Amino acid sequence: MNSKRKLTGKFWVYFFAYFLAIIMFIPLLWMIISSFKLPGSTVTVIGELLSPPYTLESFKEVLKPDGTAMMWRWTFNSVVVGVIQTVITVFVSSWAAFAVSRLDFKGKRLIFVLILAGLMVPMESIVVPLFNMMVSLNWVNTFHALIWPGMMLPLAFLILKQFIDQLPTELLEAAKIDGAGPFITWLKIILPLSKSSMAAVSIFVFIQSWNNLLWPLLVAQETSMMTLPVGIPTFQSNFATDLAVPMASNVIASVPALIVFLIFQKHIIKGISMTGIK
Amino acid sequence: MQSDTVVKKDLNKDIKKNINLASKRERMKNYVYALVFLAPFMVLYLWFWVYPIVQGFISSFYTGSYGVEQTFAGFENYIYMAQDSKFWVSFGNTLYFVLISTPTIVVLGLLMALFVNMKLKGTTILRSIYFMPYMLSISVMGSIWVFILQSRTGLLSETLKMVGITTEIQWFGSWEMGWLSILIATLWWTAGFNMILFLAGLQEIPDDLYEAADIDGASSWKKFWYITLPSLKGVTAMVILLQTIASFKLFGQTFLITNGGPGISTTPLVHYVYQIAFRQWEMGYASAVSFVLFIAVLLISLIQYKVTKTKK
Repeated sequence: MNSKRKLTGKFWVYFFAYFLAIIMFIPLLWMIISSFKLPGSTVTVIGELLSPPYTLESFKEVLKPDGTAMMWRWTFNSVVVGVIQTVITVFVSSWAAFAVSRLDFKGKRLIFVLILAGLMVPMESIVVPLFNMMVSLNWVNTFHALIWPGMMLPLAFLILKQFIDQLPTELLEAAKIDGAGPFITWLKIILPLSKSSMAAVSIFVFIQSWNNLLWPLLVAQETSMMTLPVGIPTFQSNFATDLAVPMASNVIASVPALIVFLIFQKHIIKGISMTGIK
Repeated sequence: MQSDTVVKKDLNKDIKKNINLASKRERMKNYVYALVFLAPFMVLYLWFWVYPIVQGFISSFYTGSYGVEQTFAGFENYIYMAQDSKFWVSFGNTLYFVLISTPTIVVLGLLMALFVNMKLKGTTILRSIYFMPYMLSISVMGSIWVFILQSRTGLLSETLKMVGITTEIQWFGSWEMGWLSILIATLWWTAGFNMILFLAGLQEIPDDLYEAADIDGASSWKKFWYITLPSLKGVTAMVILLQTIASFKLFGQTFLITNGGPGISTTPLVHYVYQIAFRQWEMGYASAVSFVLFIAVLLISLIQYKVTKTKK
């Protein structure tokens, strides 16, 4: 009797777990299927959705070079901004974290508190002065404006510092005895050891950058400077009833991210749990 | 004898001086190293975070637009804000979203984490599907939900028609429905992220707690109630605070899905700042509202900091 109860319990767990998964997957599946319909179709009727013809016409429509969509360009912009922001954030933060964690100097405490305070400032609350700065620097519609502001420096710093704090002192002492200065120590000891934390931070920073809407919306006003989150709604606003073409643009925008996710799933999940458990 | 001690003292002094000199040189060296390692970070940080905060605070006491001469206005912006009903509506909207999104995201995230942690068949698939929406660009997410929920031609409306329900639901037509749409989209998009946080929390619970409970013959429900839930207190507090902060930063969803409407009924604080700063070009007033946002998030973060501190 007990085992029977256990079995029905298990059935319901399976039922709800997969039911939730199906519900959550439907929007994605629907996006993919409708992107293969002919341009101009308003495919929300399920029967129509599940029957051919399926074509690549909508994708061609999105990607055609003389169209209003600049998918290649926006993807390129998003990738460039994301990669540069990630690389700069991770290395610059790693150096600073190393200094605060392992070097002795006066005013260390003050710097640490100053950086920690930055963790509590949302970028959203400083977009107005930042935009003003971009205007006076003449950076509106340039990569400078997209890249430099809004890097997740304090968060990256904190995670990397916590990791470097944990490293055994003997390791660094040994390097010192061997006559290694801080630069060699960072390059030969800190960098190789903190690779996985740096990867985790990178993923986090990249996702943040990839999804940033507000800031690029303000500083990328020219179509050619837009990133994907700004470009997609701009492009789609031309389509009121056509579903296939907007969905094709959604698919194109999502495929790289989904592939990255499937490949690096473990790292991504580890990265998020690391940034969460502060 | 006396002179002997004097000589000794002098000697000591000399040695000390030398040591001091060496340590001074050492300290100088450390300063230089620290400076080199910290400089790139601090330049970026001071330039693009600290300076704008100060600048924003100052301009909240001025009126004027971009590139125009600004005039000192004292507390005028803040006084105006206190009487600005639109500000209070958007502030209330933000709080309302905290109120509806926090419990739902905690329950859904926890549920997903429990499912994934149960070692069911196909766990990897479940986890991937739960998490996948979070990988979508915010604009893709927004576009999908607009096409699902829009009246007459939306996927949901067509599907309901097929089942015979022809009552039109205006998903973006009112305050309640607008926020419900934003809530659904946000849950779909970010519950997976919170699942990961809960999952990390679940995996930190030591197995022997459950083993001991098994020996005592505890039911799974009791184990959940007396072991799992209490052990997740810290993570839950963190998820709640993260979601509260996220609600205060809410912009993309309302901008893309409801465009803040109808009227300003689904306009949260950041969206309102966007409207005043970049639609009406009132920089001073926008800075004042931003400052309120800044203080609000600062306070919540301080609470979060305290909570995570006490957890440890």
